[in-house]
Amino acid sequence: MDPVIRTSGLSKHYGHIVGLESLDLQVPPGIVFGCLGPNGAGKTTAIRLLVGLLRPTHGRAEVLGIDLAADPDEVQRRVGYLPGDFKAYPDLTGGQYLRYLGNLRGGVDWQAVELLAKRLDLDLTRRIGALSHGNRQKVGIIQAFMNEPELLILDEPTAGLDPLMQREFLALVREARDAGRTLLLSSHILTEVEAVADMVGILREGHLATVDSVENLKARALRRIDLIFAHEVPEAMLAGVPGVQEVHADGTIAQLTVEGSTADLIAALAPYRVDDVVSHEADLEEIFLAYYAEEG
Amino acid sequence: MFANAFLKTLRDQRRALVGWGAAIAVLVLLMAALWPSVRDMFEQDLLAAYPEAIQRLFDVEAMATGAGFLNAELFSIILPGLFIAYGIGRGARLTAGEEQDGILEVVIVGPLSRTRLLLHKAAALATGIIALGAVLFIATVVASAVMDMGIPVAHATIGTVAMVLIGIQHGWLALGVGAATGRRALALAVSGTLAVAAYALHVVGALVAAVEPWQPLSPFTQAIGPGPVGGTVPVGFVWLALTAVAFVAAAVPLFRRRDIATA
Repeated sequence: MDPVIRTSGLSKHYGHIVGLESLDLQVPPGIVFGCLGPNGAGKTTAIRLLVGLLRPTHGRAEVLGIDLAADPDEVQRRVGYLPGDFKAYPDLTGGQYLRYLGNLRGGVDWQAVELLAKRLDLDLTRRIGALSHGNRQKVGIIQAFMNEPELLILDEPTAGLDPLMQREFLALVREARDAGRTLLLSSHILTEVEAVADMVGILREGHLATVDSVENLKARALRRIDLIFAHEVPEAMLAGVPGVQEVHADGTIAQLTVEGSTADLIAALAPYRVDDVVSHEADLEEIFLAYYAEEG
Repeated sequence: MFANAFLKTLRDQRRALVGWGAAIAVLVLLMAALWPSVRDMFEQDLLAAYPEAIQRLFDVEAMATGAGFLNAELFSIILPGLFIAYGIGRGARLTAGEEQDGILEVVIVGPLSRTRLLLHKAAALATGIIALGAVLFIATVVASAVMDMGIPVAHATIGTVAMVLIGIQHGWLALGVGAATGRRALALAVSGTLAVAAYALHVVGALVAAVEPWQPLSPFTQAIGPGPVGGTVPVGFVWLALTAVAFVAAAVPLFRRRDIATA
C-alpha cells in the first residue's frame, strides 16, 4: 500500500537556523507513528510542514498521495491536526467552538462530539478562556478527532493531561488506528510513545536519527533505577546482572543504569530485601547515546 | 452564528458594532442639536471673521446650510476618522491578530482554504462597516427632520456611502497587510499611515495651489471632496471601491504562499 506520508529531502531553514534537514520519511497507512525527540529537535517544524502551515525550503512532501506544494487545501481538508500549543477563541464555549469547526468541516456527528467530551470529562458549556490548560487541550483533541479524518497529525497531544486522561487519549488513538486510520503523534517522552506507537522516528537537532519499531527501541533504551536495600548494597552481584551498565552504591542505596529489559535484574534481586524501587523516565539523549554507541 | 467564517466574524463584531453605532448616532444627534445656534450666527454674520484659508478648508460658507454644517462638523474629519479607525482596528485583527494569538492554524488546517477564509473575513468586515453606515444614515435623516436641517434623503445617502467606502478601503488594506504578513502591528502601521497621508494630501491640496493637482489621489478627497452630504455622486467612489478590492485581491496569493506563525 502507498505510504500516507512520504517526504524526500524535506528541509526548513530559518535564515541560518536549521529547523529540519533533509527529512526522508515514509509512514505506511493504518499505523501509529511516534515522532520522538527532545524539545527543539524539529518535531513541530516537521509537523507544521506536513499540514501545510510552513513551506519547505527544500524537498517535497506527499500526504495522502497529494503533493503538498501543489494542493495544500486538499491535504488540509482531509487531515485532523492538533498544534503543539493549541489555542482557541477564548470568548467561545468549548461547544460553540467545536460547532463552528464542525460546520466549517461539515459531516460532523454532534453525538460523536458529545461522546468524546464525555470520555475526556470535558464540560462543553464553559468558556475556553476559563478552562485549565488540560481542559483546553481536550478541546483541541476533540476537534482533531471529531470528523474522523483518515490521517491525524498531533503535536504533543498529551501535554497538560492528567494520567487518567492520558490513558483515555491513548485509547482514542488505538481505536482510530484499529478503524484503519493513520496517526502521527509527537512527544518528548518515550514511555508515552511506547504505549501506542507501532513505529517510532527519532529526531535530533533537525535530523531524523532513526526510524525503528518500538520493540527495538525499547531494547536499546537506558533506564535509571534506584534501589533502596534493607542492608548493604550487593554491588558486585548487581554489576554482574545482564543489562546493568553502571552501579553506584552509597550505603544501602544503589543507583543503576539498565539497558533494555529489567527482567534479569528483578530476578537477581529476589533473594535480597529491597525496601523501595524508584524507576526514572528513560532519557532520550541516553537512548541516542546507546544507539550511536552500538552503531559505532 | 457559527455556520461559517463570515457569520462567526460578524458575530465577533456584535458588541463593537453596538458601541460604535451608539457613539455615531449620539454624535450626529448632538451635533445637529447645535445647528439652530450656528444658523443664528450666520444670520448675524459672525463667521466672516475667520481667515480665508480656514474658510476654504472647512467650507465655512457652506455651513450656512444644514448639509454644509454637517459636512464641516462631522463628515470631513470626525466621521471618516471613526469609520477608518473601526475598519483598521478590526481589519488588522481579523487574520493577523488571530494568527498571532495562535488561533488561526486550526481553522486553516481544515476544509476552509486560506483564500475563502480571507474573503469571508473581508465580507464580514464590510458588512460591519455597512451596518455602522446604516446607523449613520438613519441618525442623519432623523436629525435633519427633527432639527429642520433640510437634508434630502439622497444627499444623506451619498454622505453615508462616502464614509462606508473610506472605512472599507482602509479596513481591507489592514486586513490585506495582516493576511500577507501575519503581523498585526504592521497592518495597523501601514493602513494608519495611508489614512494620515490621505488626509494630509487632502488638506494641503486645498491650501497649496502646487499640490492641488495631486489632491484627487487622496482617498479623503475621493470620499468627501464634493460634499460628501450633497447632490453629486463623486467619481472618487469608484476609485475607493476599486482600490479596496485590489488590496484584498493582492493579499490572497501572498497569504496562500507564506508560513503561518505560531503564537
